[in-house]
Amino acid sequence: MGIRSFIHRLTAPPIREYVPAGNYKLAIIVNTALKMKKGKIAAQAGHGAVSATLASNPALLDAWFSSGQAKVCLKGDDDKHLLELKKKAETANLPVVKILDAGRTQIPAGSLTVVAIGPALKEDLESITGDLKLL
Amino acid sequence: MYHLKLVKPMSAAVEGPTMVLVSRADLKLSKGKLAAQCAHAAVDCAMSAKRSAGRIYEKWKAGGARKIVVQCDTLDEMKRLYGEAQKANFVTTMIKDAGHTEIPTGTITVIGIGPAPRRSVDALTGDLKLVN
Repeated sequence: MGIRSFIHRLTAPPIREYVPAGNYKLAIIVNTALKMKKGKIAAQAGHGAVSATLASNPALLDAWFSSGQAKVCLKGDDDKHLLELKKKAETANLPVVKILDAGRTQIPAGSLTVVAIGPALKEDLESITGDLKLL
Repeated sequence: MYHLKLVKPMSAAVEGPTMVLVSRADLKLSKGKLAAQCAHAAVDCAMSAKRSAGRIYEKWKAGGARKIVVQCDTLDEMKRLYGEAQKANFVTTMIKDAGHTEIPTGTITVIGIGPAPRRSVDALTGDLKLVN
């Protein structure tokens, strides 16, 4: 790398993706077939939320933070259902993360506990998670 | 270098940094509400740890981002814990609900402590009950 491009890299503002204005939300879908306890669910939702934030880009994060970091927790039936939702979100080009448990406590290692979709526009989420019940 | 790894004491595996999320038992939140509030706290803690305590944050993430959810009985106890955690220089966050759904606006629902070394958080929150 030349000295000019090096200095440019240090000083140039980062390229920001354009994100449309609106209400942003993060949907956390919990696998209810595992019958986890309340505290376990809360911790898994925490995992989902943290990895969703780490995976998304700064512009999207700003938009999400300014709409109050909204989160909803929804009921998913089982592994299959969660993976199906994940696939749907991927085809709709929304950011998705899935959380596999390390299995130190209540459930076997590697079980799929949570899928987090977003942060994304509320309307986009609605088409995928609209028919799910609140946890 | 390789054999040094092998003689690492067993305890090192369980001593990784931990994040503790303390909820309030007296609010009787529903499952989903509690999960969302804990998620708020976890994200807040992780983001501020990334800024202010980068090394321990990286270690925490590499160790599987360990989180524990416990409960305390009253608001006073929670405030006391929050104060002590701040005094001990842990990364802390306090979550106040916006009050769109179940509870009045501004209610303190969850505090997050850490990521911090497991032993030192345990000294603070070790005697709290897990959420069932």
